[in-house]
Amino acid sequence: MRYLFPSQPWDRALVAILVALFSGFCILTPGFYNGFHGTLAITEEFLPFGFVALGLSVVILTGGIDLSVGSISGLAAVIMAILIKSYGLNTWLAVLVAVGAGGGLGWLNGQIITRLRVEPLIATLSTNFIYSSIAIALAGASPPYGFGHAFGELGTGAIAGWVPVQLVIFIVLAIGFSVLITRTGYGRRLVMIGYNRDAAHYAGVSVASVERRAYCISGVMAAFAGIVLASYYDAVRADMGDILLLTSITMVVLGGISIFGGEGGILGVTLAVMILGVLRQGMLIAGFSDMVTTMLIGAILLSSIAIKNLFSSRGFDFGSIIRRLSFLRPPERMTSRS
Amino acid sequence: MSSTATAVSDPSRRKKSRPRRRELREVTLLVAIFAVVLGVGVLRPSFMSFSNIEFMVLSSVVLGLVGISQTFVIITRGIDLSVSAVLGLSAMVFGLLSTTSSMPLWQALPLCLAMGAVLGCFNGFLVAWLKIPPIIATLGTYSLYGGLTFIYSNGLQVDQVSPNFAAFGNDNLIPGLPVPTPVLALAAVAAAAWFVLNHMKFGRNILAIGNNAAAAYNAGISVRRTLLAVYTISGALAAFAGLVFVAYTGSATATTGTGDHVELQSIAIALIGGTAIAGGRGNLAGTVIGSVFLSVVITALVFLQVPAIWYSAGEGLMILAAVTLGARRSVNP
Amino acid sequence: MKSLIKMLLVSASLGAMATAAHAQTSIDTSKTIKVAMVPKLIGLSVFKANEQGAIEAAKSLNINFLYTGPVTASAQGQVDIINSLVARKFDAITVTSNNPTELAPSLKRAMAQGIAVVSYDSDVSPDARDFFIQNTAYPAMGKALVDSVEAYAGPNAQVAILSSTPDAAIQNAWLGAVKTYMAATYPNMKIVTTQYGQSSPSLSLSAGLNILHAYPQVTAIIAPDGAAEVGAAAAIEKLGLQGKVFATGASDPNSIRQYVKDGVIKASPLWDEVGEGKLVMYVARLAANHALKSDDTFTVPGLGTYTVNNKVIIFSKPLVFTAENIDKYNF
Repeated sequence: MRYLFPSQPWDRALVAILVALFSGFCILTPGFYNGFHGTLAITEEFLPFGFVALGLSVVILTGGIDLSVGSISGLAAVIMAILIKSYGLNTWLAVLVAVGAGGGLGWLNGQIITRLRVEPLIATLSTNFIYSSIAIALAGASPPYGFGHAFGELGTGAIAGWVPVQLVIFIVLAIGFSVLITRTGYGRRLVMIGYNRDAAHYAGVSVASVERRAYCISGVMAAFAGIVLASYYDAVRADMGDILLLTSITMVVLGGISIFGGEGGILGVTLAVMILGVLRQGMLIAGFSDMVTTMLIGAILLSSIAIKNLFSSRGFDFGSIIRRLSFLRPPERMTSRS
Repeated sequence: MSSTATAVSDPSRRKKSRPRRRELREVTLLVAIFAVVLGVGVLRPSFMSFSNIEFMVLSSVVLGLVGISQTFVIITRGIDLSVSAVLGLSAMVFGLLSTTSSMPLWQALPLCLAMGAVLGCFNGFLVAWLKIPPIIATLGTYSLYGGLTFIYSNGLQVDQVSPNFAAFGNDNLIPGLPVPTPVLALAAVAAAAWFVLNHMKFGRNILAIGNNAAAAYNAGISVRRTLLAVYTISGALAAFAGLVFVAYTGSATATTGTGDHVELQSIAIALIGGTAIAGGRGNLAGTVIGSVFLSVVITALVFLQVPAIWYSAGEGLMILAAVTLGARRSVNP
Repeated sequence: MKSLIKMLLVSASLGAMATAAHAQTSIDTSKTIKVAMVPKLIGLSVFKANEQGAIEAAKSLNINFLYTGPVTASAQGQVDIINSLVARKFDAITVTSNNPTELAPSLKRAMAQGIAVVSYDSDVSPDARDFFIQNTAYPAMGKALVDSVEAYAGPNAQVAILSSTPDAAIQNAWLGAVKTYMAATYPNMKIVTTQYGQSSPSLSLSAGLNILHAYPQVTAIIAPDGAAEVGAAAAIEKLGLQGKVFATGASDPNSIRQYVKDGVIKASPLWDEVGEGKLVMYVARLAANHALKSDDTFTVPGLGTYTVNNKVIIFSKPLVFTAENIDKYNF
């Protein structure tokens, strides 16, 4: 029972924001509340970002980054579509192969990073270019579409007409990732590497192997997001994952995972996914333009991290606010990790 | 972001390998460029024509300028994703001003630098005072500045620029010397940046902060002000790159810069050039050569009649090759 | 020909007399309706020109008009916006799609809720819209593109293609028509390379310069994309190849005016984007009124009479911009 309630202050703040946003939109924005299922179905618009964010969390916890998630999801979706359309493979078998391919691509990222000792940023940037070329080449001039009703249920279906399939899968996966990170040896090694690589190395952790698996997980989740997008649109396109990257990083960081690794948890990421998703959809329904919505989300990212930094490790008492806001105070620590 | 972290924690080892590695990367890149130019030139002689070489250098100028600013930021262990948005905003603002208000170049230049400096200064404030990790701070301002471009343009796009802009972007500054003005500008900026980094106290402070911010602070360096200055310079250079961009191409849309992913490209060339993402070490010459390298690779793929869909794969492979071949293997992970 | 005109006249007058459904005065504008126009992305002047025409027409049609689009040319951005328009209970959505198939599910949902969906410029899947306004017939556009360079570069020209992206639906449709027409009419004309500018000014310019350097035999560039045509023309001008290499494409007159006057572009087909925006609003109004059948005719004051053929309305013949006429158009 204890685990149902967020224990970290940041997570609590996120819960409060989510509740406020959700109820605010329901009350103030006509058209946002659209019956139980209709309202929950809004999550279908943004959960693919959430799947990517879960996988990306694992990589960012190690202190790495994966810029290739967008092209992996595009490529995986294209592979799946071609297997179904050109080779007549069973749909779900094709999905499995595509998710496996995503894992393989992520594994390749891990190999380049750990064996060739290339920085994760530059390695995944390069593979991003390569994977997207392959996806464009495979997709051809008129990318395949129309994968049947059963497959469409993955992206737009609802269980018993109530809860969107995507949401159920997301919750299950989020719990799984949370268990992976907090309750398994692998998860602890993951966080330890991000917290202090040298200490992890000297403690006998095989840093490279943990990292390789992290990129593999990220690849699998990116591929899965691509499959869900393909199901939602009932179509694939080589570049359809491009939009996933920056928003997903935003979700991970807003969720409280330090971009330098070793800090944060999945609950926060899950909440951040919901907050950013509800905010974007709600604002669009409220009649704000895409431009204003995008700018506001940028501003929210900045102010929330700024507030988090101002108040972290201290309480919310008045004195700390004064102290924190007096910018003339010398810094306690810079952003350095060493 | 992580694999050189061990090197950071062990300064003695890194110091030893530093000069050698720098030279290696520049030499690797230069050898690679000559190899590509000669190799493709033998197969397609027009590749080595003056006009084509001029084009390859000229088309790398904008990226080179942004790469220099990115190099400065990366040395401080930071990253600046907003450069593409600043570039786009500057290209849009001054492209439109040059046509609608016929603003002359000599007015646009200082205004553009000032605008970039203000935008960059805001990044610096977020990073140095509010302690927002640079990747997050500049990701946020990326959306903000990108949105400003849309607001300013209000659906318009730059279709042509005034003759004095076009001359700045394409003609030779010194009659008789067949080097276009943007290339000279890049050379001047690179030389100034090199001097600042290697021969001025400010440059040493930047390197010190990148190596160990806490130690730099304890040594009496004003970390915040230095960071603020670095991001301000980055913004100003990105805005200048935007001005060069619009002068050279003569057109800009609201997605200029962000749509071309200049931010990722600029990080790529800084890293190809031998700047360490973990900070503390920068290679300006490598960055500039890196931008020429990218431009040569893409052009070579066109000359070799590789289908257009494979260009970005070729680019990715070349980046990987450049980064791995020139790198020295370290013992630890 | 004469009899055809007569038939059209007769049927038009008959229609006007019998049902009075489609003539100018007959459009029912008693109820204010909300109509949205969703371009591929905001911030491109061609779509802005559509908006200009749409605003004019919306006033006379009692339409509450909204122009809204994504900030990146992505189908996902358009889907988000379409979904929000559905939630805001718009009466009609008009859209030019970044991708025909990806937009289909959300447009179908809109149609299921009784919202009229009209696509224009770039079509969506036929079952995901009520009507489609095609800019100009694809074969006609293909012919116009080829003829725009053939007249200057000759029937044996070596042609380079500079398109936007490999899977851009409308560009591919035009290029298909270009190839068909070329093979049938100018068998000695040859396409030597196809490059992509990703609709970005800088990438299009680089691609244009690359074509001219790498394929010196090229005497014509067909660039059926706004940014691509400008990039191709700028590249020709930068290398001083005016009069030797000719560009054509599909760009709005404002962006190519300078190149048309310089003679880099001798002729460039498009259509009247402002007029198209007007037509889009008329069709949206008629569709929202349920006053248009899948095969029908109707008249738009100031634009003319249009035929609906299996839910497709062709806006006009290609309008070829040349040095003589380009100053008559401002968009």
